[in-house]
Amino acid sequence: MTTQIVQSVLEEAQNHGAKRVIEVHLILGSLTFLNPGQVRFWFKVLTKGTIMEKSRLRIKRKEGTVRCDKCGYQGNFNYKDDPLYHVPIPTLLCPRCESMVEIIEGKECTIKSIKMFA
Amino acid sequence: MTPNVKGIVRAEEGEIYDIELDINILKANERLADENRKMLRKYGVKAIDVMGSIGSGKTSLIERMIEILKKRYRIAVFKGDLTTVIDAEMIARHGVESVAINTGRECHLDANLVSKALQRIDLGKIDLLFIENVGNLICPADFPLGSEKRIVVISVTEGPYMVIKHPFIFMDADIVAINKIDLAQAMGVDIEKLKHDVESINPKSVPVPTNCRSGEGVSEVIEALNL
Repeated sequence: MTTQIVQSVLEEAQNHGAKRVIEVHLILGSLTFLNPGQVRFWFKVLTKGTIMEKSRLRIKRKEGTVRCDKCGYQGNFNYKDDPLYHVPIPTLLCPRCESMVEIIEGKECTIKSIKMFA
Repeated sequence: MTPNVKGIVRAEEGEIYDIELDINILKANERLADENRKMLRKYGVKAIDVMGSIGSGKTSLIERMIEILKKRYRIAVFKGDLTTVIDAEMIARHGVESVAINTGRECHLDANLVSKALQRIDLGKIDLLFIENVGNLICPADFPLGSEKRIVVISVTEGPYMVIKHPFIFMDADIVAINKIDLAQAMGVDIEKLKHDVESINPKSVPVPTNCRSGEGVSEVIEALNL
């Protein structure tokens, strides 16, 4: 995934005539399986020797949001406490009316913008 | 440049620009998945994505389903693995079309690989396609492939916490096969509790206990798939 991020940024930077990329602004949804720490590590490795080397990676976390078509609830996931495990389990049930909800946000991996030196 | 010109000063040189991009890396996969879905629909092919943990019995479940369904459907199977065609050959022995998708290193299939595999088969000659993902309960959830239904296979030999440890993949599952139920007692795993875990995460998904060696539960999976 980080390879794809770096490739996309390089392509766009070159299209805009960049000499150097200074900053990359990335949005990561909390429902993706991407860990900011690991993305940062690979970003550093993969940008070496390119015009992106030493650029700053800003990561904004986007929380998972669900919507209920029945009662109109929109917001965070509902977590159910399971007495058997003593852990909160995320569930697709609406916290307000217990109907099924739809995931509307949290699955993003978006390059929002870049700052570059022309 | 003529000898009299000392150089060119470009107005934009040395400037710092902010470029708005909004490139969603995962969206590219979603778009391709939609294309795959459209293509499959055009030919009237029903595609089922089979995900699940390593060694949980994904291939065995597909084999048992083929045995029951091959009289009624013309079937093809895409078999995702890092390397080897062992499983793809095993499936081909059932007389159905089988394409191995070797990812090399990647831990999941993506819509692009599936789209390449779709070009290898004659879609007009099949009406059911099983796409077996690489064994993994994590990454495949991020990469829809264009299938109509998604099965997740887990087995009791992985212990009692497989579902609650990987909640997100079950949110995308239509059916959850809980395999190797013949070993539940030996493993000290409570099948009802696993079913309860699946239902509490995603009440829409159907948990089906199976034993893919004897075939127990396989027809219930087929029924849940509306096949």
